[in-house]
Amino acid sequence: MQEATFLILTALADGSQHGYGIISEVAGISEGRVRLRAGTLYTALDRLRADGLIDVDREEIVDNRLRRYYRLTPAGGRRLAAEAARLQANARAAMTRLNPGLGAI
Amino acid sequence: MTDWSPGGDSFSISDRASSSARLERAYRRLVACYPRSFRRESTEEVIAVLLATAREGQRRPSVAEAADLLRGAARMRLGLSRCPRTVLHAVRLMYLGALAEVAVLITLLLSIDSIRSSTRAAVIHAVGPHAAPAATRQLLASVASTVNVTIVIDIAFALFAIAAWLFFAWANGKGSALARVGAIIACAIYGALTIQGYAQGDAKYAPVAAIVASSAVLVIGIAAVILLLMKQSWPYYTRPATAR
Repeated sequence: MQEATFLILTALADGSQHGYGIISEVAGISEGRVRLRAGTLYTALDRLRADGLIDVDREEIVDNRLRRYYRLTPAGGRRLAAEAARLQANARAAMTRLNPGLGAI
Repeated sequence: MTDWSPGGDSFSISDRASSSARLERAYRRLVACYPRSFRRESTEEVIAVLLATAREGQRRPSVAEAADLLRGAARMRLGLSRCPRTVLHAVRLMYLGALAEVAVLITLLLSIDSIRSSTRAAVIHAVGPHAAPAATRQLLASVASTVNVTIVIDIAFALFAIAAWLFFAWANGKGSALARVGAIIACAIYGALTIQGYAQGDAKYAPVAAIVASSAVLVIGIAAVILLLMKQSWPYYTRPATAR
């Protein structure tokens, strides 16, 4: 899974978000490292919808502008959980080997 | 803040409004490059996001924004926004293959004269200085016409190959299972023809640039086929058509 995809799914993990909300959440989660642009975001959203990992939650009009909210589907939640577990296992292995004295955390 | 210049203030607001309207129009022109189905559903939403992420007082899309939107539009139009990485790379290689084939065609066109003169020199060298002039002339004419036919066939083949690369890139991007099989067969045939050509002596007479280019094309084709056959590519070709 691409990092951008992982971060988008993470941004939706605790509730639905609209496009700009996802961009800000992703910037926050990655501590400013990943700043999604609109083209990249919508290519990813299109793909995630086609794969059934996210879905449209609802639409709102704010200041005459359309906001479409996206949410994680159950399949998306499972995919994200599996990916997060994989990354966590890798990170733990790396930390254990770097600091053998600390033992298992 | 005390505003003792009402005229100036209203001017700056309308100025800002017109520059943001201009920015929005420019964004709309870029979003117009996306496929119709995407535009119908998402134009307003994308415009809202673009305007929300624009810098204060921005007058036109930045180069990075434009490039990002155009890349997204190209990926969606080619059906590549939904395919696995392996297929994406395979399709990119196929476009590269078309480009390499264009290079083959250009080298061929540029070297027509040198091919003609080198075959002519080879014929003259082969018949030797003591052959009858009339017989030599006749032989030269017949060799020249054979060379011409070969060149025309080569040009036609290159044009056909360019079209085939582009078609297979496009159709594989769309997830056509038939196009995947077709690409594999085409690559096998191309490989067989190229190797047969080398065995028959193309390698001795054809310009080095053409040999390098056609070998490069073959390597690109084999790499693309390997990517298409990788485990990650399979689901893209075996899922129901409605999911595409």
